Amino acid sequence: MKTIQLLINGATHEVSIEADETLLQVLRNRLDLIGTKKGCDSGGCGCCSIQVDGKVVYSCMMYAVGAAGKAITTIEGLGNGGTNLDPLQQAFIEAGAVQCGYCTCGIIMNASELLATTKNPDEDQIRHAIAGNLCRCTGYTKIVDAIKLAATRIAG
Amino acid sequence: MSLIGKSPVRPDAFDKVTGGKDFPVNIKVPRMLHGKLLRSPYPHARILSIDTSAAEKLPGVKAVLVPSEVPTRKFTPVYFVPANAGSMVQDMLIMSDTVRFAGQPVAAVAATSLRIAEQAIELIEVEYEELPTVFDPEEAMQPGAPQLHEHAANNVAVNPVMGFGDLDKGFAEADHIFEGVYNSHRVHTCYMEPRVCIVDCDRQGNFTVYSSTQHLFGVREKLAYALEIPESKVRVIKAPYIGGGFGGKLDIGYIEPVAALLSKKTGRPVRIELTRYEDFISTTRNPIKVYLKTGVKKDGTFTARHARSILDTGAHATHGAEVINVHGVFGLLMTYRCPNSKWEGYTVYTNNMIGGGYRGYGSPQACFAAESQIDEICEQLKLDPIEFRRKNAWHQGEPHPMVQGLNLDSYAFDECLQSGAERFGWSKRQKPNSGKGVKKRGMGFACQPLWVSGCIGFPDIYEHSGAIIKLNRDGTADIATATMDIGSGQITTLCQIAAAELGLPMESVHMVQNADTTTVPVDAPTHASRTTYSSGNAVQAAARIVRERLLKVAGIMLDINPDQLSVVDGKVLIKGAPKRTLSVAEVVTRAESPFVQHGPNGPAPTTLEEKGTIIGVASLAPKANPSPVSVEFVEVEVDTETGEVQVLRVVYAHDLGKLIHRNGAEGQVEGGFQQGMGYALMENLQFDPVSGACLTGDFLDYKMPTAMEMPRDIQSIFIESNEPSGPFGAKSLSEPCITVPAPAIANAIYNAVGVRIRELPITPEKILAALGKL
Repeated sequence: MKTIQLLINGATHEVSIEADETLLQVLRNRLDLIGTKKGCDSGGCGCCSIQVDGKVVYSCMMYAVGAAGKAITTIEGLGNGGTNLDPLQQAFIEAGAVQCGYCTCGIIMNASELLATTKNPDEDQIRHAIAGNLCRCTGYTKIVDAIKLAATRIAG
Repeated sequence: MSLIGKSPVRPDAFDKVTGGKDFPVNIKVPRMLHGKLLRSPYPHARILSIDTSAAEKLPGVKAVLVPSEVPTRKFTPVYFVPANAGSMVQDMLIMSDTVRFAGQPVAAVAATSLRIAEQAIELIEVEYEELPTVFDPEEAMQPGAPQLHEHAANNVAVNPVMGFGDLDKGFAEADHIFEGVYNSHRVHTCYMEPRVCIVDCDRQGNFTVYSSTQHLFGVREKLAYALEIPESKVRVIKAPYIGGGFGGKLDIGYIEPVAALLSKKTGRPVRIELTRYEDFISTTRNPIKVYLKTGVKKDGTFTARHARSILDTGAHATHGAEVINVHGVFGLLMTYRCPNSKWEGYTVYTNNMIGGGYRGYGSPQACFAAESQIDEICEQLKLDPIEFRRKNAWHQGEPHPMVQGLNLDSYAFDECLQSGAERFGWSKRQKPNSGKGVKKRGMGFACQPLWVSGCIGFPDIYEHSGAIIKLNRDGTADIATATMDIGSGQITTLCQIAAAELGLPMESVHMVQNADTTTVPVDAPTHASRTTYSSGNAVQAAARIVRERLLKVAGIMLDINPDQLSVVDGKVLIKGAPKRTLSVAEVVTRAESPFVQHGPNGPAPTTLEEKGTIIGVASLAPKANPSPVSVEFVEVEVDTETGEVQVLRVVYAHDLGKLIHRNGAEGQVEGGFQQGMGYALMENLQFDPVSGACLTGDFLDYKMPTAMEMPRDIQSIFIESNEPSGPFGAKSLSEPCITVPAPAIANAIYNAVGVRIRELPITPEKILAALGKL
């Protein structure tokens, strides 16, 4: 076991882990940050997408020790807590972009990086940004609609 | 009624965008152990010995389970039939000393951590005697092929044969006869949430179960049967959400009974979660090879149809015993009118993985064959493909072809064809292969002319639905039901139906989070496109009881006949006296008040007649089997140099009786197209031909459409034929959305480049080979 410090959603967590634990395992199993989902554990589905220093990573493909000292953002870090939502979360609700909801948090984390770096992305950019996230329920149509809606609102 | 057809916000959406806490994969319970299955590397073998001593000595290991310890009564894992259903095949054990597919569990471990459990199964020594294998179902039917089960001569598990009329006469009357072989492959439902369960056995032998399932009562029945214990010993707690199912969670996996036995051994709850590789080898859509022979008159009228369907059911019959019937009856025999028809089905054992209940349940395989062949007939006889289908289809008001005593009261096939063709611009379709250049475009369409809102007509399939609705003193309502929301919006739709019937705002109706098998009425699964119709009917029936009682109490309070009252937007209104109202909250508070109620006008006595929680219970099975119909038009672009197919746009028209939730319905169409297009063009669960090992066990090798491959223009047309037996006139939607894409795309590819591909998936290699370029 090894003790590391992880900076997650602005708070520092000291956590004892095995050296080979993935960030996904630590988030879910040791810190109860269960918004990040395991879909495949092999970098294929995007359900576990989070941001490390503002960039999207599959948390199943990153060792937790490698994330020490970096700023980690998970779905729990979006919005201001309580009923205050991030524009993307609000748009996903309004556009009906959620069905079973298992892929949802990963896709929002990915779209969040896109909207932080690209003002008013076009449909190509949106689809390209979420191409690493699989959804089996929606056909992506309403997810793309939701990201467009959030982008429009952010752009004002 | 104003709520029906709108798109109120999904009650579960807020939680799902902020973290989605209520999935079964998130559940932890105190003292929980972690289970792991050891799986056979061989597709066909006899276990000679198992040595678990090293595993048992590993610190943290609490129990090891081997085949000799499991009950010996064979079962079918399929949820929606009685355990001893005559139409099914009881051929499975929780663990067996005969292995029939690569990946079959042969031992299991429970340990204090998953890491230890994973280490422990590596320490189990199994000595196998390999047996000869057979992976092709037609080879398996030949004399001399390896036999998988003693009860099944030539490996045929079931062999339904059905028909009517005189086939020879029908073919003699035909002006033209068409024959084709249409082959389909193995695909996975790809639910995003892995299968997971926690089973907790107490010291008196009571089992509490959490499971990622589509059928709460199915888990109870099948687990009790497999463990040979009374059903009342098993309590299954509903997870508020399931991370997708699509038929992939319609049977008891190995995990629930194994976890149960490990829990019994250890006295501690045991959790087992499948890896994605394990998920890929746990459920699938059965491949079916269809030999289809059709006789037609010059004008396109069917005179005779003969189909033979060979279904690869893998190591055990499971769903294959029922999929074959739905495939044959709904997919081939009854879709269109044909006076002389015969269908033979063969569900055949092989050393492949077992099958499951994937959305469409045999229909996609049939629709691909039937709708492709109709296109071939129309092409060769120069007939209009829309007119051809209209000529051979059923019509509104005719007797239901499957269910005696029922009529096709709502059946808007013509309207689907017409409105779909108009919106799509079907009249602009060119002759096959008439495009110029490397990339050629084509248009095609396909139909599902008969489908179900459940399975009435099939003898062994449960159809019950139930609901309990209770009003609260703050004017809200709670619905408790065993109907699972697997993502397709049952929470939303059922709350919406209740709100509309009760006269409450949508946000005042809540779905109870953790109903369980001890507290709610029996329910059939969330499958067969049935819940809006069947569960919707149960919710509406319960809501009617609640409303009646509410108005009775309100009548006493207002000293007025309840006939004069109605509920609108949470208020009880009096006909002709719009100013004198009561809120629902006031009425419920009165019904639950003590003998003296303190109100704004001081203390007032209440009567016994008013008292009692306002609650309604309905448990019923529907009488009808209303048939939704659908038509899908697609335009594709085929690259004649690379063989790649891109679907450019889709118009889907569907008679769903009555639209309940527009956004949710569109989501079914759009998501259904993702699965249907994946089936048509790319998805393929592949296995090593010698070892039987799965070669596509993760999403890097199993390719499903991403946002990049999906068409950007998917339009839904919903025809409202108003089914008299449905809630607010509704019938069903889900499955036809996934059935029609493959033949529609195949027909559009033919129109684009003039080649007919009769084997799914239609890969670039197959197109290039057909174009003579490979």
